[in-house]
Amino acid sequence: MLDLYLFQLLNGLGLGMIYFLIAVGLTIIFGLLNFVNFAHGAFFLLGAYLCYTAVAITGNFWLALLIAPLVVAALAWAVERLLIKRIYHLPHTFQILVTLGIALIIQEASVLIWGPVGKSIAVPPELRGVLIVGDFIYPYYRLFLIGFAALIGLGLWLLLERTRFGALVRAGSESTETVSLLGTNIFRLFSLTFALGVGLAGVAGVLFAPLRGAQPFVGPEILGIAFVVVVIGGMGSFGGALVGGLLVGVVQSMMTSLWPQGASLMIYGAMAAVILVRPYGLFGRA
Amino acid sequence: MSDKNPLPVKGRTPALLLLVLASLVALPLILPSATLATEILIFALAALACNLLLGYTGLLSFGQGIFFGAGAYGAALLMIHLKWGMFSALLGAAVFGAFLALLVGALAIRRKGIYFVMLTLAFSQMAYFLAYTLSGWTGGDNGLLDVPRPNIEIAGHVLVDLADPRHFYVFVAVLFLLIFAGALRVIRSPFGSTLLAIRENETRAAAIGYDTRHFKILVFMLSGAITGIAGALYAMLLHFAPLSNIDLMMSENILIMTIVGGTGSLFGSLLGAGAIVVLGDVLSELWPRWLMLLGAILILVVVFMRGGLWGGLAELVKRLQPSRTANDKTPAKTKETL
Repeated sequence: MLDLYLFQLLNGLGLGMIYFLIAVGLTIIFGLLNFVNFAHGAFFLLGAYLCYTAVAITGNFWLALLIAPLVVAALAWAVERLLIKRIYHLPHTFQILVTLGIALIIQEASVLIWGPVGKSIAVPPELRGVLIVGDFIYPYYRLFLIGFAALIGLGLWLLLERTRFGALVRAGSESTETVSLLGTNIFRLFSLTFALGVGLAGVAGVLFAPLRGAQPFVGPEILGIAFVVVVIGGMGSFGGALVGGLLVGVVQSMMTSLWPQGASLMIYGAMAAVILVRPYGLFGRA
Repeated sequence: MSDKNPLPVKGRTPALLLLVLASLVALPLILPSATLATEILIFALAALACNLLLGYTGLLSFGQGIFFGAGAYGAALLMIHLKWGMFSALLGAAVFGAFLALLVGALAIRRKGIYFVMLTLAFSQMAYFLAYTLSGWTGGDNGLLDVPRPNIEIAGHVLVDLADPRHFYVFVAVLFLLIFAGALRVIRSPFGSTLLAIRENETRAAAIGYDTRHFKILVFMLSGAITGIAGALYAMLLHFAPLSNIDLMMSENILIMTIVGGTGSLFGSLLGAGAIVVLGDVLSELWPRWLMLLGAILILVVVFMRGGLWGGLAELVKRLQPSRTANDKTPAKTKETL
């Protein structure tokens, strides 16, 4: 029985790390650009499907893990240049509506390209099989997932905290105007940050693909969870996205066998409660 | 003003009601079936209710599906279990919708902007999973089957037989006209002007002495009641109340209809619902991925044509009046917003 709980807990951590990757992208974009991206779930979806195609062509999951997020990021960069940079100055409500439109287009285009039935993606051969410790059995892929996402998270933290680019992003979150006045091309910074944030959703999509496959209508669900995580952790907070992601992942995983709808009720209830009681989240600043 | 929706165009009330009446008569004549025309009116009601929040008070609610679904389930359960008639079931749906809107509204308006939107989104998801869980009442994933469509009766004597889709259309059309006139009356009243004041500058409206929270809750309840009626009518039309009624996608659809039609006028909601229901009906067979086009239209409307279809029509009418075009050089209202 205890093994089952440990199993569910590890599953929850893996799921939570995926949620963290999605949410941290959303939160960086919100922090620097003050932009609400309702297309984030759709880009996640695109990552999963591109992983399918890349695996189908090259037969190599590792190549897909490299290529698919880059393609997603490049696409996000193009969308930012063409459309999104024109709506930064609009109120959040209009940003929501425009990105909702983008999400619809991506979702329907995915169905057009890959068909209405989901695609399954095989676990890479190197990670097939299970880890056996005494009575406890756990799939390798899920362990890899936790480790790899943690690595990406660490890399992202170093990027934000230890590089010039990261310093600019953090400074820009404080005051876009000041950074701009100090001679930084703020629009280039915006484009790069948007591509980075969306690219992280792409990475999450690829990592998620061998678990649940690529499902065409998963975008809104993922978007909803990403917002739960971001709100609980605090809009714009890196640590908040990590803790929030793990919290939501573990709660969902622990409840799957008991009452899965109850898990959703709980996490959305928690989201509402956090907004009402502590709108800046557990880790955000007032 | 520059980043807001255009202010509502104040036309004359009788002229606008005549326009609605003409549309109600024309709809079944142009469209291939009365059922399609009825569906348009039902979604036009939902869009109109959404417009009261978005266009007139500036509240972007992702919670309209809650009231729509609740109206459908509420009326259906009242008719199935308690054998309620048409009018009492509709009234029940309106009260249920208003009650839920009171709950959602009272909590959601404690926050503004993005946090308000997030709250309505969270409530919408909670309502969905709650409906899913209470499958004994709602039928869960299968939906609620065999929803009746009671006839209009007086003392057991059938006055109007609503089983005929044409009769049902006329009934819904009369209801639509009444609700439209009522909503118009509300927004042209001092109450409506106060809502606009809240939309334009809430701080200032509060500073003048209006209890803006009070007004926002009231308009939420009105919107919830109308959306509840729309949901009830939809369940009667389909004889079925699917779980998708209370889905987030329903909230999004209602929002999209409202915005595409135009938030500057209640009539825009009829235009938006009509355009999207017809587009969906025609295109979904030819091209199942027509939602892609809808996404593009949504983006175009928000970025380039903030007035929606109604705004576009109004602009067209203005251009066609030759005497004015000479000295009226003001650029399109939507242009200045960019």
